[in-house]
Amino acid sequence: MPLNAIDSLALSHFLLTGAVLFCLGLIGFISRRNLIIMFLCTEMMFQGVAVSLVAFSRFHLNDTGQTFVIFVLTIAAAEAALALGLVVLLFRRKKTLDALAWSDLKG
Amino acid sequence: MDLLLLLLVLFPLVSALPLMLPIKAFNCRHATWSYAVLSTLITFVISLVALAQFDFSAPGMQFTGAVRWIDAFGLTFGYGIDSISLWLVLLTTFLMPVIMLGSLSAVKVRVREFYFWLIVLETFMLGTFVATDIIFFYVCFELTLVPLYILIGVFGSDNRLRAAKIFFLYTFTGSMLTFAGVLYVAWFNTTLPVNFFPGAGAWSFDIQTLYLAAASMSPTEQGWVLGSLLAGFAVKVPLFPVHTWLPLAHTEAPTAGSVILAGVLLKLGTYGLLRFALPMCPEAVVTFAPYIGVFAVLGVLVTALICWVQTDVKKLIAYSSVSHLGFCVLGLFALDAGDTGAVGAVMYMINHGLSTGALFLCVGMIYERFHTRDMAKMSGLGRVIPVWASFTVFFVLASVGLPGLNGFIGEFLTLLGAFLSPSNVLGFEYAAIAGVGMIFAAIYLLYMVGKVIFGPLKVPDVHNDDDSHDLRDLNGREIITLLPLAAGCLVLGLFPHGVLTSLEAPVGRLTAAAKAAAELQTVYVDADQTPADDPRAAELRLVLDDRPLPAIENTLQQPPLKTAQQEAER
Amino acid sequence: MPIELIKLVPWIPLLGAALCGVCCMKPVWRKAAGPISVLSIFIPFLITCGVYSAAKHLNDTQQVQTVYSWIGVGEFQVNMAYFIDPLTMVMLFVVTGIGSLIATYAMGYMKGDRGYARFFMGVSLFIFAMTTLVMADNLVLLYLGWEGVGLCSYLLIGYYYDKPFAVAAAKKAFIVNRIGDLGFALGIFLTYMTYHTVSLSVVTDMARHAVEQGFDPTTADLWIPFLLMLGAFGKSAQIPLHVWLPDAMAGPTPVSALVHAATMVTAGVYMIARLMPVFQLSPYALPTVATVGGVTALFAGTIALCQYDLKKVFAYSTVSQLGYMFLGVGALSTFGGIFHLFTHAFFKALLFLTAGSVMHALAGQLDLRAMSGLRHKMPVTCWLMFAGCLALAGFPFTAGFFSKDTILAEAMVRGTGEHGSTLFFWLAIMGLATAFLTAFYTFRLWFRVFMGPEHFEMGDDDHGADDAHGDDHGHAHEPHEMPWWPMNAPLAVLAVGALFAGLIFSGWMTTNIEESTAQPAVALNIQTDPQTAPAYEIIAVSDQADTHAAAADSHADAGHGDDHEAHRAHGIHVLLKWVSSFIALLGIALAGYFHWLNRPLTDQIAKRFSGVVEVLYNKYYVDELYDLTIVKPLRRLGHGFYLFDQFVINGLVMTVGYLPRLVGWSVRPTQSGQIQGYGLGMVMGMALVALLVFKWAF
Repeated sequence: MPLNAIDSLALSHFLLTGAVLFCLGLIGFISRRNLIIMFLCTEMMFQGVAVSLVAFSRFHLNDTGQTFVIFVLTIAAAEAALALGLVVLLFRRKKTLDALAWSDLKG
Repeated sequence: MDLLLLLLVLFPLVSALPLMLPIKAFNCRHATWSYAVLSTLITFVISLVALAQFDFSAPGMQFTGAVRWIDAFGLTFGYGIDSISLWLVLLTTFLMPVIMLGSLSAVKVRVREFYFWLIVLETFMLGTFVATDIIFFYVCFELTLVPLYILIGVFGSDNRLRAAKIFFLYTFTGSMLTFAGVLYVAWFNTTLPVNFFPGAGAWSFDIQTLYLAAASMSPTEQGWVLGSLLAGFAVKVPLFPVHTWLPLAHTEAPTAGSVILAGVLLKLGTYGLLRFALPMCPEAVVTFAPYIGVFAVLGVLVTALICWVQTDVKKLIAYSSVSHLGFCVLGLFALDAGDTGAVGAVMYMINHGLSTGALFLCVGMIYERFHTRDMAKMSGLGRVIPVWASFTVFFVLASVGLPGLNGFIGEFLTLLGAFLSPSNVLGFEYAAIAGVGMIFAAIYLLYMVGKVIFGPLKVPDVHNDDDSHDLRDLNGREIITLLPLAAGCLVLGLFPHGVLTSLEAPVGRLTAAAKAAAELQTVYVDADQTPADDPRAAELRLVLDDRPLPAIENTLQQPPLKTAQQEAER
Repeated sequence: MPIELIKLVPWIPLLGAALCGVCCMKPVWRKAAGPISVLSIFIPFLITCGVYSAAKHLNDTQQVQTVYSWIGVGEFQVNMAYFIDPLTMVMLFVVTGIGSLIATYAMGYMKGDRGYARFFMGVSLFIFAMTTLVMADNLVLLYLGWEGVGLCSYLLIGYYYDKPFAVAAAKKAFIVNRIGDLGFALGIFLTYMTYHTVSLSVVTDMARHAVEQGFDPTTADLWIPFLLMLGAFGKSAQIPLHVWLPDAMAGPTPVSALVHAATMVTAGVYMIARLMPVFQLSPYALPTVATVGGVTALFAGTIALCQYDLKKVFAYSTVSQLGYMFLGVGALSTFGGIFHLFTHAFFKALLFLTAGSVMHALAGQLDLRAMSGLRHKMPVTCWLMFAGCLALAGFPFTAGFFSKDTILAEAMVRGTGEHGSTLFFWLAIMGLATAFLTAFYTFRLWFRVFMGPEHFEMGDDDHGADDAHGDDHGHAHEPHEMPWWPMNAPLAVLAVGALFAGLIFSGWMTTNIEESTAQPAVALNIQTDPQTAPAYEIIAVSDQADTHAAAADSHADAGHGDDHEAHRAHGIHVLLKWVSSFIALLGIALAGYFHWLNRPLTDQIAKRFSGVVEVLYNKYYVDELYDLTIVKPLRRLGHGFYLFDQFVINGLVMTVGYLPRLVGWSVRPTQSGQIQGYGLGMVMGMALVALLVFKWAF
């Protein structure tokens, strides 16, 4: 009973999916040094949170959450454009995408 | 609500603003200078109006008023003056025009900023003296640092940045602790029952309310509050051994900064001790007074000897300030029955402001001429600049404490106070040892006079941009700068009676609790075990614990217990 | 003349000083300063004369003349108030009278000097302080005068301020005086603590009452005289604070005469006399005063023997004579002490001024070895100084003879008889020895300067006055006599005083002292203190026996009649007169032999005892001792404290300042600059917070 299968999906499944997405992104962000990969990883964390939001929204039958996700996605798109532009600029400066090249804050 | 004080405090601030506006006229040095002199003179006139309208017979604060700030925390800009504040306000407003007059030739670059910050500084100094709200006081107390930081850091001599930084951090660190103490007392007030006294059980920073609240604090709490107050005020005084910022700041500051620093800002420390420490933590004051006294005496002697080995005239006078203020602190904590010490200490504040301020001006004039303050490089200047020499000798004598000039009054009364102080507070040995400081003062100041003014003529080599050998005596402007100060020294030395009399009542109100605590301690070693049947002790407890103002007035009128006993013995 | 006029006495000289200060400003005005100053001292003298008769008959309220309230805190009230009693009047006569004469002389002496107006400003200011001192009704006002005269002394010693030794001498005078003044100030504090007032009239009354009732002294009573005494020793240059006075001769000579001989240095004697009953309260105070006085007299007398500087000889002689005065007041003979003060003012002022004339004539030459036989060049000065020397040496019937004898006889009276103390006996013997020394060194100087073969070397160290004189008379290479006006005329007046003041004023002085607070109190109840009470009685009796010898018996009857004691005292007075006449003549004769007739022999003796001479010439090395034990260690201590302040205290502060920096430095490695590091930190932090929240919340 495929329909039921979906029906039987509990809130926790969605939250788990969101959490897995978030953690994957987190680990990727911390462990990788390529600026683009790191940026993609942050996006992934972002989507993980968005999934959770949608799930809660459906669970509480409150549309605010889903509306909010639409907004967030829009902003994320704008932000991605900006961030990728920044990455390109950074690449032009140092001819590398390695994040280690940008450790000027070292104390 | 009386607007006179508000006008007094805000006028300098408002009048300073045009200096920073793009007004072309102020590009001319003389125009800016004239404007600054005029502004401070008007402030002085306003303070004279306050003096004229002041009712010396009325108790308590006058010209009171308040501007609401944050109601939720009881924060107001409350103001009002009693005669202690009045004389210190007058000292400030009197010194400012003098300083402005003396600065014309000392500052030639960034003139606008210089005068702007000086006038702004005046606002904050006046604010501290007129505040009846402890947060208002504290805000002004801290804000005085900013203009002076800039004055030292921008207009100082070679090592100015370091001096400014140390000055700021040192005093600021101390006063942060003071702030903690103040907050504690305010918080303590909120914990009291609402019907205890008007203002209890809610946030309030009104000084009178906090006096009443502090009366309920345990001796331990009082000890901590005293410690925190001392942290800020002792640094400001400065009390030995937390004085090391002062010589550096003085040596590097421009003349105007030094004069204000010695003349007014150091007094904020002693004023704070008198206004807050003595009434708020009387029992702790009695407990710790002997130790504070030891540091005061040490400061008097040690720094006096240090003065003697200085080669930089300005540093010598800077250290002499530390030595002199030791007397002042000694007087404050004397707690003798007649308030001789405390009244003498307030007198000392005023006198020291005049005479040491004037000495800094004199040194500044020499520095303008020779671009050095090294005693080894000059000698016998009395022959070439006799007018300057006469003024300097005059102020040195005032500073030495020659009777007939102002320095004597404060010195004599503070020492007398320490001498008469109850034996559990200070006692005669403090006066006797601190008295040696009088000899040392004569030694180091006459040493300076002997080196710089007397002796065979020796003029330092000057490589001056303007005129190579600048041996002119004081010009009219400089004489007018010093003349009011000299007149002040003479008048306060010969006719101090009015000032002293006006100080008696307000000082008595501030020291009443501490005196009662000292007396209780003399009679009963453990103040808590006062027998109920001793009416005098009960009365003292009343003064100490409740401190309703009428009760304090009564205590002032009655002869103290000890003298009555002594008379019976005789 | 109404008595209120006396309030003006101190203020006229102050006004004069202010006017002289104005005169300083323009060279043209300078000449006016001298006459202004003389007038400002002479008018008070006239006032003093005018109100003298009125001042004798004052009731208690009139005795205290209040000008205004000076200092006041609570019970501590100090008025600008003057206490008028015969002692005050005597002192006012001395200060304004001698002061006018000396100021007149100075008009000539200082003529043409650059600092003419400055000098007279100092002199007038000095008279203001000195009159305040002697008129003060309370100890604090007395202290004002006390420090005020110290200041003027400082300014006037340092008059030639471009000479390093003058500057050093001025500084030394002020600082040594300050040491004494500290004692004085503490004495005032203790007096206030004990009596609850600083008013002299009240304090002396209370103390007198206490002495008369045989009051058992408290600790404070014992200490007050000792603290005040310290002040008196400083001002009057007694051991151990005598070191400043000889150096003070660096000032112009009229200053030495006025400040350092006639008036200021006697302030200590005046103060003790004024507070006599307070000193009597402590049984050890007056013997201490007498001992210090006696020792100082002998000590300074020996030093004066071997000095070659004209003014230094007189300076040490002043120290020595002041010692006599202290011996006098210490032996309870305030009459003797004040009388000697009075006569000393005449002859010592005269001696200094004539020495000034010699110095002036020889262009600053002061060395005894460089002058001889000047009697033909300066005949008037020669005989004026002779008069002064006679009085100082105590030649019979001169002023010094009477006053010095009174002191020695009183000391002897206390030192002999039933209750006599050995201490006073030996002090009297020391006094007699000093009398011999005095006669010897005084005439040593006079014979050296004016007798013998004529010989002189002009000084190179000419001061400003000589420039003017050089223009006037062209005398630069020859010593010359001083003009009569304004120089020799005042000296003649002083000389008359030096010769006859003792005869004329003895009775006048006695009545004045008896009617003042200086009169020693007499214990009414002899039984209370067997040690001291009889002694007071004897003195009270003998004091009168001295001057009213004829009426001695009746007086003795009045004061607890003891005819025997009075007779004994009278006998001692007569005996002492003979002995000291003999001693004075012997001293003069010997001086004449050694320093006029047979100078080579003297030089031989001096060579034989060169060690002793060396020690005496170097003033027993007291200056060096003080320098080594006090000045140098203090200065070293100052350096030490400065280093301590710079490195230890400031170091601690800086260490505290560095603590935050140290913390920052230790956690700096965590700041890797890599974004992943920060991310990790953030995550860990979040994890930690989450853990804590879950742990504590659930």
